[in-house]
Amino acid sequence: MSDITLYHWEPNANSGKPMLALMEKGVEFSSHYIDMLQFDQHKPEYLAINPQGTIPAMTHGSRVLTESTAIMEYVNEEFAGPELMPADAQDRWRVRWWMKFMDQWLAPSFSMFGWKFFVGPNAVAAHGKDKLEEAIARIPLPERQIAWRKAVYGLFSEAEMAESGRRIGVGIRMLEQELGQHQWLASDTYSLADVNGFNLAYAMPLSQPHLANDEVTPNIMRWLRAIYARPATRACWKLGRTHMASRVAILEQDYIAPKDESEGISSGIRSELDSGALSR
Amino acid sequence: MSMILYHGEPNGPSLAVLAALAETGVAVECRPIDLLAGERHTLPGIDHPLARDMGLEGEGPVLVAAGEAMTESVFLAQFLDETAGGAGLQPTDPYAHWDMMMWCRQITERLAPAASLLGNLANAQGPLAAVDNTKFAAITGAIVNDDLRARWQALHDDQVDAAQVADSETKVDQAVERCEAKLADGRDWLMGEFSIADLETYGWLAGMASLRPAAFAAAPRTVAWLARVKARPSVAAALARATTAEPLRAWAPGPEINRWG
Repeated sequence: MSDITLYHWEPNANSGKPMLALMEKGVEFSSHYIDMLQFDQHKPEYLAINPQGTIPAMTHGSRVLTESTAIMEYVNEEFAGPELMPADAQDRWRVRWWMKFMDQWLAPSFSMFGWKFFVGPNAVAAHGKDKLEEAIARIPLPERQIAWRKAVYGLFSEAEMAESGRRIGVGIRMLEQELGQHQWLASDTYSLADVNGFNLAYAMPLSQPHLANDEVTPNIMRWLRAIYARPATRACWKLGRTHMASRVAILEQDYIAPKDESEGISSGIRSELDSGALSR
Repeated sequence: MSMILYHGEPNGPSLAVLAALAETGVAVECRPIDLLAGERHTLPGIDHPLARDMGLEGEGPVLVAAGEAMTESVFLAQFLDETAGGAGLQPTDPYAHWDMMMWCRQITERLAPAASLLGNLANAQGPLAAVDNTKFAAITGAIVNDDLRARWQALHDDQVDAAQVADSETKVDQAVERCEAKLADGRDWLMGEFSIADLETYGWLAGMASLRPAAFAAAPRTVAWLARVKARPSVAAALARATTAEPLRAWAPGPEINRWG
């Protein structure tokens, strides 16, 4: 019986980071699925573990760890298994630099699209706005309350969406350029930066088909397919329960041609929403 | 490999990295630059400008190694510690290391943008507004990062968001409260053993003592801790590099205020 429990949502964004890191290390853990759309993360039994009500969280014996990137670093240092940080100090710096850049600059922009088009509409469809307000009022962190209200009531301004769209474009170009310099994101060694980046970027060919495809970003596509081919990645994404995680199958295609922006995430997710196929 | 550290006055992230350098003894040539004159954006001999241009820290120090511009003070301190073969600035126990990294992230994500906003409004806004338009356009024209350029422009134009100022004051107060709670068991250093957490926190908090004295009035342990850090030979050496009488009042546009998620 493992003394490690990971509390996570989908293999996607923050939850997917420690999931994939544990699997790459070959560490056995108890998987505890927190259904974010059912507000499991704000229920008393989870708040007893992480009072901030954020996911993911990991317990190791009596230790409680939070923050996905920091958990990954702990996993890599604490457990035996393949090393997920390069040996060279400058390469290690580059891993950390990219993880901060993705966590604090690029991911929030992707997240805004995800919340506007997936989390908000799904939560409204499942609960109705009145019940949602009660659920939102119970969220411990004020900034998460703001995020939920914006998603549920469609309060993202055009300026905010445009700014996030701009950042996504810049970020994708930066990733492409960096991946032209090394085999993996931060160096020629597979590392936590790749685990982090894959969780951010795996669905880009679907969500940003005009920006990420085999014509415009061949290095990104090479990188995504190489990570998808790893056994740990396959096992990790099998833990997904919604359409969100199943998007990873796009990487089984050998060639992905550019498509118009209008065929990207918003229309794709909306049509899935209309058919009610998103959340089991 | 010869390395060059371009740094501002010993305050904020420049102070943290200069002190880390002194702690580790790594051979690095230090070159002071005038951050508020935009000199960070015209550094010579950089083949890979990515981090200099797109680092989130704003006008922090830049370490140039093998043509690569490295930024972000916490990660530079880790790099120096690891280049030295482990100079004792990071816990070796994984859980204690996680704890230190979590602390540093709180500081860089919450305190740093807040302290930077307050410090810049109080000290850098006036000098920057006095720069003539041609010169200011030349400075901002050299800044690649759209977000950082916008922060320079807002400071120059004296665009003050009262809600952001109030939020920043709260975050500085909360950082002091967090330090006071951490030091409550009588420990000398934030994480128990001296670490990067002390250097990074001191760098951003030391300049707040004069700007926000009320925050420190009921925090005697934090005040004593600030004095202990200041007395540390590495920090004293970093502060001795100042070219102005009051380096803790030297600010230039820093990290952005968290916008979402």
